[in-house]
Amino acid sequence: MRNDLVFFAGIAWLAVLLAVTIAAIGRARTSAERLVALDTAVLVLIGLLGLVAAESRRPYALDAAMVLALLSFVATLAAARYLGDRRPFDQPDEDGPR
Amino acid sequence: MSGLVADVLVVVGLATMTLGVYGIVRFPDVYTQLHASGKAAFLGVSLLLAAAAIGGGAAIVSRVILAVVLLALTTPVAAHAIAQAAHHRREPMRTPGAVDESATTPGAGAPPVKPPR
Repeated sequence: MRNDLVFFAGIAWLAVLLAVTIAAIGRARTSAERLVALDTAVLVLIGLLGLVAAESRRPYALDAAMVLALLSFVATLAAARYLGDRRPFDQPDEDGPR
Repeated sequence: MSGLVADVLVVVGLATMTLGVYGIVRFPDVYTQLHASGKAAFLGVSLLLAAAAIGGGAAIVSRVILAVVLLALTTPVAAHAIAQAAHHRREPMRTPGAVDESATTPGAGAPPVKPPR
């Protein structure tokens, strides 16, 4: 059967990696670097939730992982558009299509 | 046997994930950090989710497949949006020897930054 020690060690190591990425969010020099670090922190958190779901043999943590993936995509996209254009969405009636 | 496969997947996924996070911390500018975030971290998380799916029931397997497909679709788009925004803001390329080809090609550079309203 599955060796649970490896999964426990993986959860602990991913928690360390999550702390490192959160520290990277703090020490980023520009907004874009901060956005990249935030995106990576969400990826680490999704992996952590996957391991927790496998360890507890309950699928509910994976629901949170899927919702987190979708939310982080929309948030990253909106923040990147805001960083680049100073507004999250185009307004074609003023500028025309790009 | 399947437990061994799951353990190997966890270890390889953790190693890939660690490389990605190390790249986020160590790479000098956004454009190179996006390589670590968009490739290494995504591959690591896919391997970890695959390890979680092995030995799990149908509920876990279906959620893992959905999450991996979702991530595979959204991660490149998000990375491209960040890179476009960074280039739009003229973020410096601090990598030694980096050449911004889209800045030297006529007509292909980033459009001028519009003033905020």
